[in-house]
Amino acid sequence: MIQTENLTFHYKQKEHTFQFPDFALQEQENLLILGKSGIGKTTLLHLLAGLLSPVSGNVIINDVNISSLSASKLDAFRGQNIGVVFQKNHAVQSLSVVENLQARLFFSKKKIDNTAIDHLLTELGLIDYKNRKVNALSEGQLQRLGIALSVIHNPKVIFADEPTSSLDDENCKIVIELLKRQAKQSNANLIVITHDHRVKSSFSNTIAL
Amino acid sequence: MTLWKISVKNIKTKPLYTFLSVFILGLSIALLLGIQQLKTSFKYQMENNLGDIDMVVGAKGSPLQLVLSSVLHLDNPTGNIPYAEAKKLSRNPLVKRAVPISYGDNYKGYRIVGATDEFPTIYNAELAEGRTVEKSLEVVLGHTVAEKTQLNIGDTFKSSHGLIDNDIDVHDDEFVVVGIYKPTLKVIDRLIFTNLESIWNVHDHDHDEEGHSEEAHAHDDHEDDEHAHDHEEDKHSHDHEDDEHEHDHAEGEHDHDHEEKGHSHEEHSEDEHAHEHDEEKEITSLLVTFRNPTGLLMMPRRINEETNMQAALPKFELDKLYEYTGVGFKTISLIAYIILVISSIIIFISLYKMVKERSFDLALMRVYGAKNSQLIRIIAYEGFIIVFLAFIVGVVLSKAGLYFMVNSVDSGNSQKILQSIAFHEFFQIGILVFGMIIVAVLLAINPITKMNISTILSNEK
Repeated sequence: MIQTENLTFHYKQKEHTFQFPDFALQEQENLLILGKSGIGKTTLLHLLAGLLSPVSGNVIINDVNISSLSASKLDAFRGQNIGVVFQKNHAVQSLSVVENLQARLFFSKKKIDNTAIDHLLTELGLIDYKNRKVNALSEGQLQRLGIALSVIHNPKVIFADEPTSSLDDENCKIVIELLKRQAKQSNANLIVITHDHRVKSSFSNTIAL
Repeated sequence: MTLWKISVKNIKTKPLYTFLSVFILGLSIALLLGIQQLKTSFKYQMENNLGDIDMVVGAKGSPLQLVLSSVLHLDNPTGNIPYAEAKKLSRNPLVKRAVPISYGDNYKGYRIVGATDEFPTIYNAELAEGRTVEKSLEVVLGHTVAEKTQLNIGDTFKSSHGLIDNDIDVHDDEFVVVGIYKPTLKVIDRLIFTNLESIWNVHDHDHDEEGHSEEAHAHDDHEDDEHAHDHEEDKHSHDHEDDEHEHDHAEGEHDHDHEEKGHSHEEHSEDEHAHEHDEEKEITSLLVTFRNPTGLLMMPRRINEETNMQAALPKFELDKLYEYTGVGFKTISLIAYIILVISSIIIFISLYKMVKERSFDLALMRVYGAKNSQLIRIIAYEGFIIVFLAFIVGVVLSKAGLYFMVNSVDSGNSQKILQSIAFHEFFQIGILVFGMIIVAVLLAINPITKMNISTILSNEK
């Protein structure tokens, strides 16, 4: 469950204030936020994920107003309840695939369940690359690892920032389905922020910025 | 998964930097430890060799030379003193123990020291086998001497004149080994102990053959060194005329000496009468231990002012020596400190690079739920791991280096000289190194505290 109220953000350097529309999602509801480049998509995602603090307005996840949390509580809350799939699916370079997942659980203070990790890696077709270094993975493998990292800790909300921008039509579909399936399994809301209109048909709930 | 594990993984991704950091920091630690250990060993070795000798009395000359020759057995003696004078000093109530020693010959470079039975007790030397010296021409070998010369009890050998091994000036008398001392790690390990009579007898014989007077020959003893040097420089051109000349010179000195003796006769005629025989004998020096510190204040001055002998205080002379050698130690220490600073800079760069280049990874960890303090700890642990490895490398390097050094300069004096470094000194070096690394870490983590995760994540590469 996530909802926003009067979110605004202001970049000092750019002298530009963003205003974002309010929305509210019930359990298991997904949302597609469409918008052109430069309209503040990534800013919105960072506000929602608690990586940025809004100038005004609130982000409420599972009845917690994350805008009012202290820095360290926000770190903890983010670690436990939020999953983010980044545009280029970065994972920590110095760690292997499985170590990244273990680190994800370690930092979110959740039990490191190696069976669950193996299960997820099998599901995403990464089990054979379990002990590979991140920089030895292909783009597609990295993206799947990114998805694994965003769901391994059973978050309440999963955010995906332009997950399909560099993919062909076929893979675009596969990735969106994968995200939706994982979100459903974790019982989490999925919010995809993109400029890619190809994914429009996959979501019933859409906001345009 | 722990922060330590992440730090280790980080270190593993940059092996070159890590190797460089560990190696150069290890090198500076090795230098610091090595120089400290050498200093400690050097000082300990010197002071250990003193035994409980408070004062040395010998012929006039350089007091440092007297200490080096008669206490540490490293240098040539300053000359001889009359045994009677020495005995007189021994009876002073301030004196706890006075050991007369006489030397001038060697066997394979090891000095044959004639002294009274108290000599071994200065060094707490105990017999490993055999018995102590009972009559003339019997010797007990120091541990090192026995080891290096392979002499055993019952073996005999002939001594060479002078203090350096030579085959030309060999005495006819045969010494017989009657005992071997246990290792003491003191100077007695590399000495051959006999009684005073042995030394006198060997030289009496030679002397008779050569047809010189007894005293003249005894005097010749302190010219030994020159003899020895001559031999070394040109073993085959031993010039008899030179010899003659030196003898003349010696006799000249003798005359002078005799006057002095005459002078003391007047003052202590009673003593001299009682030891008429001893009066003609000479010894190289007298090793004195006082009953209490008063002796240190009174006797040296009196001896230096009122007699033709000189008194030197080993502790004082050696302290002066440290001041000279200290310059070398200081230079090496300075180099070690410079290397330490350089290694700290390298570690700083290595950590700072990690913070800057891996800022996305660090931001990602923040998204995973990591606190700033956890990121800082990851970086700090990296620093600590490097220091820890460097300490191991440093200790191993310093041990190996010193071992190699001590073995390569085996001049027969090295003995087992390495002393382990005092804990507080080790601790001081540790604190210093850690201090430097903490500064490097603090500088390197500075960007983390100002890190804006949103900006970093927005600028995906």
